[in-house]
Amino acid sequence: MKVKEVPQDIPYSESVKRACYALNDQGKYVIVASTGWNTEDVVNGLAVAELAAQLEETRKAVLAGLKSPLCYHMERRQMNPKILAGTAGIATFRTKRHFHPEIFSKLKPSILERYAKALAVTPEELKTVPKSSEEDK
Amino acid sequence: MSSEINAAGKPFIHHHSAHCETGATTALFRDKGLEVSEPMIFGIGSGIFFGHLPFVKLVGLPVTTYRYLAGTIFRKSARRLGGKFVTQRFHNAQKGMEELRRVLKTGQIVGLTTNIYWLSYIPNRYRFQFNGHNIIILHEIENGFRVSDPVLENPVDCLTGDLERARFAKGPLQPRGFMYYPKYINLQPDFRTACLEGIKDACKAMLEIPLLFFGVRGIRYLAKRTIKSGEKMGFIEACRQLANIVRMQEEVGTGGAGFRYMYAAFLEEAAELFGSSELADLSKEMTAIGDIWREFAVVSARIIKQRDQSENTFAKAGGLMMICAGREEQLFKDLNDVVRKLKA
Repeated sequence: MKVKEVPQDIPYSESVKRACYALNDQGKYVIVASTGWNTEDVVNGLAVAELAAQLEETRKAVLAGLKSPLCYHMERRQMNPKILAGTAGIATFRTKRHFHPEIFSKLKPSILERYAKALAVTPEELKTVPKSSEEDK
Repeated sequence: MSSEINAAGKPFIHHHSAHCETGATTALFRDKGLEVSEPMIFGIGSGIFFGHLPFVKLVGLPVTTYRYLAGTIFRKSARRLGGKFVTQRFHNAQKGMEELRRVLKTGQIVGLTTNIYWLSYIPNRYRFQFNGHNIIILHEIENGFRVSDPVLENPVDCLTGDLERARFAKGPLQPRGFMYYPKYINLQPDFRTACLEGIKDACKAMLEIPLLFFGVRGIRYLAKRTIKSGEKMGFIEACRQLANIVRMQEEVGTGGAGFRYMYAAFLEEAAELFGSSELADLSKEMTAIGDIWREFAVVSARIIKQRDQSENTFAKAGGLMMICAGREEQLFKDLNDVVRKLKA
């Protein structure tokens, strides 16, 4: 890759430039800051959209009373039950049970506290999900 | 590049690096007064690699890696350059933070392994649960720390709470507060011997691991899978998998093509060090291979976006990968021969 070929496709991206190694006119490698590449944006966009769609589905399921808010907040933090359980110091099978709304609603405050700390939300937030999908962005 | 000072008032120059682990290691070496470049550390630490693990899943998709396991570049380069490092892990987060503060107060900058999701200064689209991001802590500030993140252009601030979460995140490869800093660094290291060792090790990893999933064999395996994936999994699932391969290649820690270019930069430096035209030629070949990896990414993105479907097929993407496999195999074989002729 030549210096001129280093992608500068996303001029107004979130101010993060990455360093790329590219050849200068003398054929020596130098570091060039790149603002981003369209190709990369396509695949990353796909992954981000997939996560967002999954999260939205879960949010609706919570509002419909099929899943507990805990499940929503876990997915919002891109965790899985194992990571969440590990962070909160609770057995994975118990965490999975807590995804049922009826079991979740009976949890002691001390357990909720641990989940809230693990997910970096307040215990009040943990009991609810946003009413509309935009609220979370 | 920008200048900062550490807790003892000593200047620290932040360099924008292409990869977090090599960047952090380089920063620690430079801080002690050993001028060494990032590609040099990458080469000496034998960072280049390939692996595709269909049964290890991250966010439900198979893992593809273009470099060696996290942490090995640092260890290998330290060993080969004759540096002694203090490394620590902690069971207790409180103790881990106290120890960090204590070391920072002595004026020593510290390398940390963290979870990238909890580092709030990283833009949202790059944040995901990955426990292998390396950063350098310069000094403590009011309710936070001054951080030199090698992949960012300039040093940033990080809140104490975020840093603690990032250091003690759970999950695969959990860092357990891993921190490292040099105790002693050899200021006249034998670069030639270190380079030769690094190159030989890299050749071995790329050519000689007798498993389907690693090195050149791994690239071929993934290429074959990609060619068949369209019919086998259906278009949507195949796209997901392909997107993930490209994402791992370009997004996650500069990835495949980026690592190939960095290795080419290393070979260029090594060529100067040994005065060897053969190494210089191999550097050019490596650059060409990096270009093919990029072309693969472009074709993949077109497949996903469904542009020119007659031309951009899974067979074409897999074919490009197959070319990479062939050329990398030849390159590492040649490299192995060249290195064995060179004297330290």
